[in-house]
Amino acid sequence: MRLTFPRLLLLVALLIVILVELRTVLAFFEIELPFAATIAIGIVGIVALLLWAFLSNDAPSER
Amino acid sequence: MSNTFVDAFPKQARLIRQAFLTSFVALGVGALFGLIQALHRTDIFRPIESTTYYTVLTGHGVFLVISFTIFFLVGVYQWAVTESLEREPVDMRFTWGWYGLMVLGTLLAAFAILAGFTDAIDVSADVLFTFYAPLQGHPLFYIGLVVFVVGTWLAGADWFRTWWAWKGDNPGKRIPLPTFMVLTTMIMWYISSIGVAVAILAFILPWSIGLVESINPTLTRTLFWYFGHPVVYFWLLPAYLLWYILLPKLSGGRLFSDPLARVVFILFILLSTPVGIHHQYLDPGIAEGFKFIAMTNTMFLLLPSLLTAFTVVASMEHGARQRGGEGYFGWLKSLPWREPAFTGMALAGLVFAFGGFTGIVNAGMNINYLVHNSLWVPGHIHTQVGTAVALTFMAGSYWLVPQLTGNRLVGRSVALFQVLLWFVGIIFMTNSMYRGGLIGMPRRTAEPQYDGFDFEVAAGSVGELNAQLALGGVLLFLSTMLFLALMLLTLFNHDSEPIDERSIPRPLSGPEDSPPVLDNLKLWVAIAAVLVVLAYSIPLASIVSRGGLFGPDVSPFPVFIESIGDARFVLESILAGITR
Repeated sequence: MRLTFPRLLLLVALLIVILVELRTVLAFFEIELPFAATIAIGIVGIVALLLWAFLSNDAPSER
Repeated sequence: MSNTFVDAFPKQARLIRQAFLTSFVALGVGALFGLIQALHRTDIFRPIESTTYYTVLTGHGVFLVISFTIFFLVGVYQWAVTESLEREPVDMRFTWGWYGLMVLGTLLAAFAILAGFTDAIDVSADVLFTFYAPLQGHPLFYIGLVVFVVGTWLAGADWFRTWWAWKGDNPGKRIPLPTFMVLTTMIMWYISSIGVAVAILAFILPWSIGLVESINPTLTRTLFWYFGHPVVYFWLLPAYLLWYILLPKLSGGRLFSDPLARVVFILFILLSTPVGIHHQYLDPGIAEGFKFIAMTNTMFLLLPSLLTAFTVVASMEHGARQRGGEGYFGWLKSLPWREPAFTGMALAGLVFAFGGFTGIVNAGMNINYLVHNSLWVPGHIHTQVGTAVALTFMAGSYWLVPQLTGNRLVGRSVALFQVLLWFVGIIFMTNSMYRGGLIGMPRRTAEPQYDGFDFEVAAGSVGELNAQLALGGVLLFLSTMLFLALMLLTLFNHDSEPIDERSIPRPLSGPEDSPPVLDNLKLWVAIAAVLVVLAYSIPLASIVSRGGLFGPDVSPFPVFIESIGDARFVLESILAGITR
């Protein structure tokens, strides 16, 4: 596992927050991200993060 | 042998625990009311009638921004003064006295608000946290507020008294930074709360009792906002204290600069009060020039916030590098993210920075017109008070409560989850509020969706915004309940010891590096008084000369629709009074 559980939790939270705010920012540039697409991107992002974190034999840094 | 605050000062720890307990009870009730509002105005679940919404809204505001925040403030400040002066109050009976007054005031105001839920008692105060005239509440509500504020004044007097006693024993010594922060906050509070005291005692209370028949709404609104903006800093400065004092320690380092911290708190004495009129940009009866001056003053308030961002982040970086962090940004990975106290406060600071930018929109005279009285404003309040302050208080409690009880924090991982849940919940909710505000969705209404009218949403739909707001509200409520449960469990977690001890490391640049004039509190009070006179004397004189001290014959606006004899007549008379 590449990350400790607390760091993983923090990154998931940050990912959700960035996604919510990014959708608003994009709307100011007339790039409209549909609701379903936002959810899908969120799920894909979180799953990718989890896979990256879990699919490794490295010990997480304790620092 | 543990070295916690409760070991050194058991009597003071008991008082602070009581203050926190009162604060957390208010938090629980206020959070429940917040959940009801979020679900009601989005029309997802309506357990109450729309007329009752305003009782809930008043309770949410008063219990959270008055009771929760200020009881927590007095607890933290009592800790800060006792810890930094290494000294007990001069007379503990006096200390318990001001706490008792604050509790009494809260109970009176709470009774007046909560009685609004039942018709069995002829008492209500559905006047919202701002209690603008001509909305009129029961006199008990105003009496409760006055008693509460007097309690806070005496608390400040108690801390000054302790400092004077310390000063007598330590002539020539610089004021320790935590005590300096407490004293400067209280000076700001004394200067600013005079406004609300005059508004209530001279005008609103006599009017609610029936001693005078009329009131000047512009005058009482202006006096309210004379207090209403600095009160934001009264909520915020204990959070600043925790960021300056605890965050560097939790990061593994030391505060970057004691002198900069002193400058920040002095700037709040000077600049907090002469800005209140920026809340009244759309009020008739105040000349545009005064509003422009208030806007200019408000923009200067960015300075202490930017100084704080610099100092606190520099301290965190120092701590991270002490823990082995390297690189331009690589040091961020070395911060103690597993510590809920640290993570909660750091995220609260992040949200505060974002909310600060939205505050610039509120403060700008022209762009304010776009968002004034819209859902944008509660969005701003919830990022600032609802997160920068509330999340810092909750995160700070994860370090403070073990110090006050001598018990180890229960569920450290759950606590981390709780602060992250708050972070996600507040972003869901405030993002929706900001976007709703930009399309003109009104605030403070149980029925934001008008018949035959559709909001033009820039992205998504009103349904999405509502769902997002409700989801955010639910997450915030769950987060609050988790926090309260952890606090309760920690309180009863006997036979354990806190992980950390109570010492606070010395700053990298200490008080010896700052000019002694920074500690000349009389000088800053004098300058603040001059600024207040310059900002307010002419506008107040103008308001009084235009509408009179007791107003152009404005009658109270009944709280309940059923009790209005002729609502149209009342509205017309108010409008006529304001525009006269």
